[in-house]
Amino acid sequence: MTASVRGLTVSLTRGGVTSDVIRGVNLEIAPGEIVGLVGESGSGKSVLALALLGLLPESSAPRISGAVTVAGVDMVHGNAADLRRVRSTELGAIFQDPMTSLNPTMRIGAQVTESTHSTAESIRLLSLVGIHKAAERMHAYPHELSGGLRQRVMTAIAVSGTPSLIVADEPTTALDVTVQAQVLDLLRELRLTLGCSVLIITHDLGVASQLADRIAVMYAGRIVEQGAVHEVLRKPANPYTVGLLGARLSLGMRRQGLLATLAPETASPDERMLGCAYHSRCLLATSECAIEAPPLAQVESRADGHVTACWRSPEKVSALGTSLRDRAAAELPDLAALAPAPLSKGPAVEVADLTCTFTAKGGRGRAKSIHAIQGISLRVESGEALSVVGESGSGKSTLLRIIAGLTPATSGTVFVTPGQPQMVFQDAGSSLTPWLSVGETLRERLLALRISRSEANRRVEHILESMGLPASVAGVRPSELSGGQRQRVVLARAMIIPPSILLCDEPTSALDASLAASMLNLIREMRKRLGTTVLFVTHDLAVARLMGDRIAVMNRGRLVEVGEADSVISRPKDPYTAALIAAVPEIIIDGEPGS
Amino acid sequence: MSLIAPAPPRWRATSTGFAAGLRLNFLLVSLLVLTTLIALFARILAPHDPVQPVGGLNLPPGSDGFPFGTDAIGRDMLSRTLYGIQASWFSALLVVAVGLLIGGVIGVIAGVASGWVDAVLMRMTDLFLALPGVLVSIAIVAALGAGLGNTLIGVSVVWWPYYARMIRGEARSIAVRPHVEAARLAGISRGRVILRHVLPGVVPTAVVTASLDVGNVVLLLAGLSFLGLGQSAPAPELGADTARALSQLLSEWWVPVVPGIAVLILSLVANLGGDGIRALTAKRR
Amino acid sequence: MITSLAKRLGITVVLLFILSGIIFFLQSISPGDPVKAYLGANASRADVLSERHRLGLDQPTIVQFGGFLVGLVHGDLGVSYRTHRPVFKDFATYLPATIELVVFAFLLAILLAVTFAFSAALRVPGSSFYRGILLVGATAPPFLLAIGGIVLFYQQLGVLPASGRGPDDRGPTGFLVIDTLVNGDIPGFGSTLQHLLLPGLVLAIAPAISIGRILRSSLESTLSADYVRTARSKGLGRGRVLIKHVLRNSIGPAISMSGLQLGFMFAGVVVVEQVFSWPGIGNYLASSIPVSDFPAIAGVTLVLGTIYIITNAVVDLLQAAADPRLVA
Repeated sequence: MTASVRGLTVSLTRGGVTSDVIRGVNLEIAPGEIVGLVGESGSGKSVLALALLGLLPESSAPRISGAVTVAGVDMVHGNAADLRRVRSTELGAIFQDPMTSLNPTMRIGAQVTESTHSTAESIRLLSLVGIHKAAERMHAYPHELSGGLRQRVMTAIAVSGTPSLIVADEPTTALDVTVQAQVLDLLRELRLTLGCSVLIITHDLGVASQLADRIAVMYAGRIVEQGAVHEVLRKPANPYTVGLLGARLSLGMRRQGLLATLAPETASPDERMLGCAYHSRCLLATSECAIEAPPLAQVESRADGHVTACWRSPEKVSALGTSLRDRAAAELPDLAALAPAPLSKGPAVEVADLTCTFTAKGGRGRAKSIHAIQGISLRVESGEALSVVGESGSGKSTLLRIIAGLTPATSGTVFVTPGQPQMVFQDAGSSLTPWLSVGETLRERLLALRISRSEANRRVEHILESMGLPASVAGVRPSELSGGQRQRVVLARAMIIPPSILLCDEPTSALDASLAASMLNLIREMRKRLGTTVLFVTHDLAVARLMGDRIAVMNRGRLVEVGEADSVISRPKDPYTAALIAAVPEIIIDGEPGS
Repeated sequence: MSLIAPAPPRWRATSTGFAAGLRLNFLLVSLLVLTTLIALFARILAPHDPVQPVGGLNLPPGSDGFPFGTDAIGRDMLSRTLYGIQASWFSALLVVAVGLLIGGVIGVIAGVASGWVDAVLMRMTDLFLALPGVLVSIAIVAALGAGLGNTLIGVSVVWWPYYARMIRGEARSIAVRPHVEAARLAGISRGRVILRHVLPGVVPTAVVTASLDVGNVVLLLAGLSFLGLGQSAPAPELGADTARALSQLLSEWWVPVVPGIAVLILSLVANLGGDGIRALTAKRR
Repeated sequence: MITSLAKRLGITVVLLFILSGIIFFLQSISPGDPVKAYLGANASRADVLSERHRLGLDQPTIVQFGGFLVGLVHGDLGVSYRTHRPVFKDFATYLPATIELVVFAFLLAILLAVTFAFSAALRVPGSSFYRGILLVGATAPPFLLAIGGIVLFYQQLGVLPASGRGPDDRGPTGFLVIDTLVNGDIPGFGSTLQHLLLPGLVLAIAPAISIGRILRSSLESTLSADYVRTARSKGLGRGRVLIKHVLRNSIGPAISMSGLQLGFMFAGVVVVEQVFSWPGIGNYLASSIPVSDFPAIAGVTLVLGTIYIITNAVVDLLQAAADPRLVA
């Protein structure tokens, strides 16, 4: 065994609150094996990574029990010298954010050489990870490299000294999808050439499917299902895994109908400690589930080594998929009472030869011109839904802002149907004024209408209900709401006076899969009922396909392709579009993409 | 001993658990209030007239009726100290208030307006900031003539730029946040956006900085008073009293030392109180 | 790089110009009449008028300002009412003593700041007491620290002197620390240090805390930074991580603050010199205030102010040069 975790329990104290972040985890990683550890935020997966490295932050006063062994060394109780030796010769680590994970004032060559102890070896490794002109790049500083290159440098550092285990914690989450595909390819190659094991930690099932041999699903500090990756993803035996798969968006899924969602967490942390942690959200939960936590056990009728922690039978679990969609339907609020959007003849938006250039401060005080948009012509019909897709720097957000009237265009014509378009931002928390209550924020939009206070309150209550939020939310400040609730408040603010155009700027990128699905269901349903024109900006092709009748693909400020959603995905005309589609990490089952 | 070990930021206010920290902070802020009350009611609290000789010369502290002793002319040290505290404390509050007002207005305008208005205002502020503040105030007071009013003018003139810069920074960082844009999108007028969506975010930081600053101003004014730039004799003033009694340091030590300790206490209370205010207004993540 | 250097230089010149302008303006509104002070109170009106004409004081303000600036460049800072010597000459006599004291205090402040910051960030046991003392020292008014120090170390313990600079070595530089060594006067060297210690300490405490706080907060945020985690994951030892990764990224703000504090020290030195009878220009300034000797006050403000402005400019440039993100 390269690494083994036995009965690990970790409790951390953060912000004065002590919680058990990992509760009895067993995991083994064999030599040369790639294990995918999958879970949402808060599942404890990153803490497990730190435990393997022996780097749990002292400031959180960690209390650890159980055993963590890497290459025969006890990472919990070992002495400092042994730990350092293991870290430098047996372990390699790749963390999520490559910008902050590299020392900004040290040249990357020096940082790599700290591990390799030889400049020649550093250059060799940098070339190995696919950095061209490695010898020159040795002298660069981290901020001079792109995110993808920085992550490659991290990988070079990780593989130096031929480690037996590489721990990669969300290594591609902060990267564009095409770059992500490259980094994943790199990791796969390294496993072949170096024979090391890899623990890849991710929230994306597609990434796990593409890279891992075995997958372990984590929830609330426990592993709830484990097994060969295709086994688990094709025939999941745990309700949570089914939920994750259901809420996951893929390019091949049906466009009609609702997305599956998971019930929101309603139990308190203490209640969750008793019995199965998932029971308050599980559609199959029985009274037994609330009292006693199921052990991880071999699933009958499944391959050897496929284990799950669930009291219910695998047959019942497999049938869960449809129930989740039904649940999602039930969760949708009644939108019939909302006023339909104002219709207009002619296009809602029309831009011609649009350009937008910013001047930013470059290095040494020189002004740098950023050509955010370089000549775009586009037309959106009234009542249509258009998805705008692109990677970072494509100019998609700038386009949205120009239509909203927030940013002026540099040249070209912009026509927007009269009436102020409303916008839903990516980060709901920061788009709501923190010191105003939800009710005050919503009422403010009604000021121009000059209606009475009681009428205004009535409308606020009405829109909150329409968004599936209790009326009591009106008296509350945004910081006291959950992420999903905040996003709905932002939507409520946009819809309280039905706008002619609804602009959405990546509203779900920061949300967990289930919350995102919930939100997307709401927006789609709303559009269906009210006929609002919607422009939806996203970097995720699967989301774009679901949310728009048409898809517009942008690359570096130019419009690369526009067409009906399904045609663009199945028969892309532009090579960039094709590359984007190919890079999306789909779940691969037995060599073929599944959904 | 591990390297990944950031200690809590202050060694006093919030180290021992949350509730204890809360109590401690309230205590510190009430000390501030107490001091202000003492300064306010100095006239009533002082047992004697601070300017008249009322007792034996150079009586040590603890003498009958004179808990702080008397000075070389026979004046009651306690009364002089109380009046001195009143002058120092309210002068400092006044300077900070003026700085906050002028600096605040300029800072908010610059932070919100951006563009050339911001550039011009900040250039001006930076120029003021780059000048040696204390020396210039000494020069100003020397030019205008000694006296409390002139000293306050001299210090206020060099003090406001610091606030302008700080508040401009805060206003700017808030003005570029999405919620301000969202408010504009919601159709709200510019003025209302500034008032309801920017200003309330600036106030907490401004208040915290100002309260922490009172201590600095107390020290500065005491130092200027020590150099002879405050009120003229025989008015009781903490720094000046120390300076005038310097020759008695090795014999009747209390005459120069007691006013100095009073300044120390004012400065300590201001610093701790400011810390308490900061801890109480800090947003929880 | 060159353009930013030129820009900084330009700003510095503008600042010096403004400073001179302020001083000139203050001079013109100051109550003392330089001519009367020079000639004495009993001078006749005719004498006063002719002296005013001779000194060019009946010219329009702009011309006077021009003359003032020209004089400044030539080192003409006017004549002190009190000593009746050119202010510039007084300077030459007193400046070295002040510079020596300020430099000594600055080095001491850096030492205190570094120990303060590291003991906090690395959680050295028992160091909170040490930091507590420093913090109280920084909240106290410098004159109190000075007189307290005299009472404690001179009167009660008898280990340090209460006034003056010590030996009277007339050396080449005017800096006793150097001159005593040059003259081979070892006891004098020791005495110099003894005399420097108390006033230096008093002057250093408040700046030490300001610098120390910034350094500490930089250290703490750096210690919890992701790249420190990366460094540890490479298996590097504590010491190496500290020096190569933590330090370089932490000192930026501290350097900036140090420059600022050095400038403040030139103001704080006034009170300290007065209490310790240190024969420097701080004391000179302090003596000028009670007699409203404006030329002296103006002169000191100008010179110390210039030192302050130039020091800040140098620190800014050094900092820009050190951070690759700013230079690139």
